[in-house]
Amino acid sequence: MVTPDLSVAVGPLRLKNPVLTASGTFGYGLEFLPFLDLADLGGIVVKGLSPRPRRGNPPERIVETPAGMLNAIGLQNVGVDAFVAEKLPALRKHDVAVVANVFGETVAEYVEVCEKLDSAAGLSAIELNVSCPNVESGGMAFGSDPAALARVTRACRDATRLPLIVKLSPNVTDIRETARVAEAEGSDAVSLVNTYVGMAVDVDRRRPVLANVSGGLSGPAIRPLAVWATWQVSRAVKIPVIGMGGIMAARDALEFILAGATAVQVGTANFIHPDAAVGVARGLAAYLSEHGIGTVRELVGTLRTGREAER
Amino acid sequence: MPQDLPAAVARNLDLGHGHFLLEFFAPQAAAEMVPGQFFMIGIPGAEVLLRRPFSVCGLPGTFADAPEGSVQVLYKVVGRGTALLSSLRPGAPLTALGPLGRGFDLEVASGVRPLLVAGGIGSAPFPALAAGLAARGTRPALVYGARSAGDLPLLDWFRERCDAVTVATEDGSLGRRGLVTEPLEDLLAGAGATRIYGCGPSPMLRAVAAIARSRGIPCEVSLEAHMACGFGVCLGCVVATHAGGGGKPVYERVCVEGPVMPAERIAW
Repeated sequence: MVTPDLSVAVGPLRLKNPVLTASGTFGYGLEFLPFLDLADLGGIVVKGLSPRPRRGNPPERIVETPAGMLNAIGLQNVGVDAFVAEKLPALRKHDVAVVANVFGETVAEYVEVCEKLDSAAGLSAIELNVSCPNVESGGMAFGSDPAALARVTRACRDATRLPLIVKLSPNVTDIRETARVAEAEGSDAVSLVNTYVGMAVDVDRRRPVLANVSGGLSGPAIRPLAVWATWQVSRAVKIPVIGMGGIMAARDALEFILAGATAVQVGTANFIHPDAAVGVARGLAAYLSEHGIGTVRELVGTLRTGREAER
Repeated sequence: MPQDLPAAVARNLDLGHGHFLLEFFAPQAAAEMVPGQFFMIGIPGAEVLLRRPFSVCGLPGTFADAPEGSVQVLYKVVGRGTALLSSLRPGAPLTALGPLGRGFDLEVASGVRPLLVAGGIGSAPFPALAAGLAARGTRPALVYGARSAGDLPLLDWFRERCDAVTVATEDGSLGRRGLVTEPLEDLLAGAGATRIYGCGPSPMLRAVAAIARSRGIPCEVSLEAHMACGFGVCLGCVVATHAGGGGKPVYERVCVEGPVMPAERIAW
């Protein structure tokens, strides 16, 4: 049997397989070394990096909800300088695409981080976090305002030669609109979705469960919403789409791929099964073999609907 | 090195009042783990999404009737995850990720008496700790507090294995009426060199830490927190600490920098 070809190109970003790990669910990658070989992944997206270290939100920060979880971590991270000095050299030893997720409170801060990463060796791409729902300034404030999104995307585009991915927020009226802005301002791809804003209430204490009051919902609960967003966006823009939202297994990833995603990210599943993303990649290979399909690229956006499906 | 292993329920003993002692076979982890470390335990196919963290309750030899290579965790049914766990019969599949985290410091200088302070189900890591201390030639004393007499799991085990057990219940149904802090103060008043190990609800740990600090007694506490991963990446389980030096507290992970921390490290 021929080994199926899992390699994909997300614009200029070449990946050996279409499975990446989502930012905020995979630390800096190194934490997973006891559990998997990073080289089995298409790529990893590290925790959002800001110009300076951030301490994050006070606890409680997470709570399980039906088929999902809410988090309000608040982008706690070591800062871009420590990442480049301490984490990246160790990551470079592994044969895996490393994508840095970038966060700032102002356009200038986004640019500062992009510039520092641009001159660091060993990075494959930058993902702009314009969609974090758990910080007071920056984050979703950029991703939900088309004019602000245009400014930050253009500024970062001009600050780096690395492939640029804009990670979109689903907390907008029409996600196609922000996707088109990212495309127009020079993004090489879009990734979606970041978490959906939600909240949970402790009825005994009559308080929000999370100290931040609201949090971002992830996990299987959001998968149908995320597949729908992927389907909409992939038909609205020409740049590649990276789909994510509650992917636990290969069949979940296939939903996104058939709906138009060139690659996928595995998020919450990493918390539950540290080798979940490797399992997704292996499952994709098995699916291709089983169906006699030579390359995963043949499947992207091949969903048939309505009358088409009856033929 | 933690491992993610499929395991099966060996025993799931109902100890009464919602307390259970779960036993599973994990020989490599059992050989490696130290008191105070924990496992993330999941139930394959269950509607509960995240695994739940459980302190190691028994090391090899802690419980006389436990088979070689087995691990025990003590838990109380408090929500959906633990309710589901309590329904499992021997043979039911589990996933067990561990051993995880930083455990207790067992090096107790000679002449120093270890004193365990437990609040209710906070006693969960103490059988392993007591056994670990005993293996080094010291029998600890225990101050064991809870809301009521039914909330003191494994009390008989502790009575056999500890030097002295002082019980306090809030409703006065067993031992002294009130919180653990009063008998703790009394014990310390007459005691020589002591080292405190605490585990229980946060307000209790805060009070115990304050007593230890006021008397200059070394104190370690085992913390509990909601966790999604247990191995340091979700950043959901943080606690404010003074690890950053002077100035503002920083948030450290209970799962990696803890769950056991020196009490003075925590920004109570």
